[in-house]
Amino acid sequence: MKRLGYHRTTASFCLFLALPVALFVTFYIYPIISTLCLSLYDWDGISPKGTFIGLRNYFTLFGQARFYHALLNNLQWLFFLIFIPTALGLALAAMLDRGMRGESFFRVVFFLPFTIPAVAVAAIWRWMYEPTHGLVTSFLEVIGLASWAQNWLGDPKIVNYALMGAMLWWTTGFAFLVFFAGLRNLPIECIEAARLEGANAWQIFWRVSFPLLWPSTIVVLGMASIDAMRLFDIVWATTSGGPAYASEVLATQMYDVAFGRLEMGRASAISVCLFVISGAFIMPYIRYLSNQVQENAS
Amino acid sequence: MGLRVKIKSIWEESFMKSAALRWLGATLGLFVSTNVALADRSPEVWHYFAAGSELAAINGLMEYSNKIHADTPVIGRAIPGNVVELRRQLQTAFLGGNPPAVYQSAMGYELKTFVDGGRLRPIDDVWAAAKGEEIFPKGVQRVVKVGGKLWGIPVDISIINNIFYNKAIFEKYGIEPPRDWAQLVAACKKLRDNGIEPLGDASGPFWSLYNFYAPLLASAGKDGYYAIAQGKVSFKGPEFRKALETYRDTLVVNYAKNWSGKTWTQTADDVINGHTGMFMMGVWVSAYFKEHGWQPGKDFDFFPAPGTDNSVLIQMDVFAEPAGPDKTVATARNFMTAAASVEGQVAFNVPKGALAPNLKVDPSIYDYTGQRTLQQLKNAETSDSVLPNLFFLLPTKLGTELGVQIEKFAIDPSAGTEESVMETLEALRLELAEQNAFVKW
Amino acid sequence: MAVIFLAPLVLAGMTSLKSPQAIVRVLSFPTEIYFQNYIIAFERMGRSFLNSIAITTVSVICSIAVGASAAYPLAYARGRGGPFVYFFLLTGMLVPFQIVQIPLFVLIRSIGLYDTIPGMWLVHTAYAVPFCTFFLRNFFASVPRSMFEAALIDGCGVVRYFFRLLIPASVSGIAALAIIQSRSIWNDLLFAMTLTSSENARPVTVVISGFASSLQVEYGALMAGTLVSVIPVMLSYLLFQKAFVRGLLGSSGR
Repeated sequence: MKRLGYHRTTASFCLFLALPVALFVTFYIYPIISTLCLSLYDWDGISPKGTFIGLRNYFTLFGQARFYHALLNNLQWLFFLIFIPTALGLALAAMLDRGMRGESFFRVVFFLPFTIPAVAVAAIWRWMYEPTHGLVTSFLEVIGLASWAQNWLGDPKIVNYALMGAMLWWTTGFAFLVFFAGLRNLPIECIEAARLEGANAWQIFWRVSFPLLWPSTIVVLGMASIDAMRLFDIVWATTSGGPAYASEVLATQMYDVAFGRLEMGRASAISVCLFVISGAFIMPYIRYLSNQVQENAS
Repeated sequence: MGLRVKIKSIWEESFMKSAALRWLGATLGLFVSTNVALADRSPEVWHYFAAGSELAAINGLMEYSNKIHADTPVIGRAIPGNVVELRRQLQTAFLGGNPPAVYQSAMGYELKTFVDGGRLRPIDDVWAAAKGEEIFPKGVQRVVKVGGKLWGIPVDISIINNIFYNKAIFEKYGIEPPRDWAQLVAACKKLRDNGIEPLGDASGPFWSLYNFYAPLLASAGKDGYYAIAQGKVSFKGPEFRKALETYRDTLVVNYAKNWSGKTWTQTADDVINGHTGMFMMGVWVSAYFKEHGWQPGKDFDFFPAPGTDNSVLIQMDVFAEPAGPDKTVATARNFMTAAASVEGQVAFNVPKGALAPNLKVDPSIYDYTGQRTLQQLKNAETSDSVLPNLFFLLPTKLGTELGVQIEKFAIDPSAGTEESVMETLEALRLELAEQNAFVKW
Repeated sequence: MAVIFLAPLVLAGMTSLKSPQAIVRVLSFPTEIYFQNYIIAFERMGRSFLNSIAITTVSVICSIAVGASAAYPLAYARGRGGPFVYFFLLTGMLVPFQIVQIPLFVLIRSIGLYDTIPGMWLVHTAYAVPFCTFFLRNFFASVPRSMFEAALIDGCGVVRYFFRLLIPASVSGIAALAIIQSRSIWNDLLFAMTLTSSENARPVTVVISGFASSLQVEYGALMAGTLVSVIPVMLSYLLFQKAFVRGLLGSSGR
């Protein structure tokens, strides 16, 4: 009887998976294979045909400093996005979970930036970061820290950090939302029980709430790491990878090589590299996080 | 108790869903009824004049064309972004087999790429009918010809080697428009001493490069300029080095603080607000000044950059015709004829604030800036010194790289950067020379 | 903290009300309210706004449905097949989109759905599969497996369990996902630019980017358009937030 039930379960499960997997294969697998093939050609994207050159695109790519520079930028973004917006989102969600005055107002304010499209975010932050009169510089002058003012988006050494600031403003809303939903979803008995046993708010949070938040955490961390690797919108809209490649990440480099230099083959190679590198780093990471969930659930 | 909550939430959710579905059905019905089949739509003109006075310009031209060719109307499609994004859209269009009837192209090498890909139709007949040889400057004619055939109709010319200045500031400190490098440097010093940033620049691969053309022209001369375009001049050679060093000593040292963190409109704002004295930029900045309340000749004026006496450097847009389905040919021809005509060029350039390449256009339509730049253009034409933007004479890869490297140099004009810039460019030049990529324009 | 978040938005708001002359001084307050920007924005955005609404609502519903139906087995399946399919789907998220445009375009054209709203539905749903699956699978996994097994033993079928117990228990997660998907589909630019070309299907994001052309940026209209386009996403946020009910999971454990 149990075996029959098991087979029926599996059959039902397969039914559930049918449509998603079909969509996935059509829209993901086909383009990936197509890109892979394209990376073996030298094609400008305009002529009807390209010339087959095998792996030469990859060899050229691996010899270019520009490629490694962009990769390094991606890794910096990875480090940043995993920790900072996550922590900030968590802190904000935790603060608001207590039910304070004006809670709805704050909920709106913290989420609002996330709803703005990249083009507008770029335009806004171009003003914020205007080196002589922008809001950031003016603010520093007002509080007496004028010497800290920099050429935010023009200095190759700090443009990445400036962009990270803008990104923090933009995407914290995501972490905030997910953690907030997760906190609201927590079973109230556990928290009540802990409170009855005399634990203070801090302990309740770290010992009880946070471990139960694993589903949210895994989503936020997973998305942060994936977004760091495929980062494109904010960098391209704000600086186009400039000045002089300083803020370039692999996705923007790919776009520039494909349509700014008309080298589709090499751009596809960058794309494949991006995919492989992401797969090599991110997948095991997400796997590790997922296993944590399994452990916690059981 | 728990059960009731559960049922309530299921109900809420399914209610919301069904409400959404009902509402959606209504809007869907609306759309289906108003959807126009792809094949029935008018042929399109693709461009990236998506906003402001540029959009007004292209709309003006299309209106004119649709008026005189009422049986072959066109509609426009604005692609947000610039030439890079347009290339991306064109790529899918060509592959899908439904390119636009006409699209806005850059000149020179941009056209060549598409011609070599077999994507364009030659327009020798339109050109001949419009008497292109007579109405367009020679420098302009060079860059719409590839392989002896004609591929584009020039639609606007923007001169890029003028330096604009804030008149009030110049008058206040008694500065005369400089005529050579020494005077320019002196003027900059005077501005600096009085707490004004002398010369503006902006971030991006184009603006520093346009500034660089003046020292380059001074060092290499007109023939050298074209030689560089043909890939004959080494980037490690004496002319280029001299150009870089002149650029550094006269312009880069005088750039406003933190220029690389500003967009060109932000730098223009600085000029309007009196923080920066001069700005070497294309003539569209005059349109920007006007939009923001300034009068040409009264609040601001301009002079040609030293080293560019009697020449003009121009940036230009052309319309090209993809080799698409036959039924769009007539429309494309009509539109391009309208675009080349005097009225068409007027309809486009007056809103845009640029110069009409058609020299037969009556000069009185231009404002102060237009008239003076037209004079510059005509002067240069007499000695065949209308020089197209080098960016588009070079193979695309090299042009883009040149822009980036010059910006890099402008940010950090040290000896080390100078060497690395020259190395990078030279390596790329040799690679392209091997592939026979250069063109004699 | 809120001030830091609000400041750039206030800047955007002020700019949307300024005339072009006034925009030159970015940080100043508008001396006169200049509504022209909003008029320009509405004129250009009108139809595309409706397109966006049509595209987003259906795509969100479909993508959640598809994601949920994939997440369900992957959260509960035993054996090696489960994790394999899960990670297979997740690799989809690593694909940078810019370069898949050619195969995608060819694909959509061949089905005849180019420049149509149903085409956008299909594309958005398909490309949301990895993320929605990822998201929901984790929420589902937090519902104790014991409940699943108990239900099965009680005779509740697999399908019934899904609709009657699992979904209601995960309303919080589904609501959060709905908000995220609304935002992400509403603000999508890439698919919109590649797969639409006319008023028929063009969403609002394309029009907003259009305010920033190569040489000129109509900042006033850009900001006006942005502020208006933010409204629907915020509405969905406020709407779906009501589902964040505390303790729903706990009580259903009874």
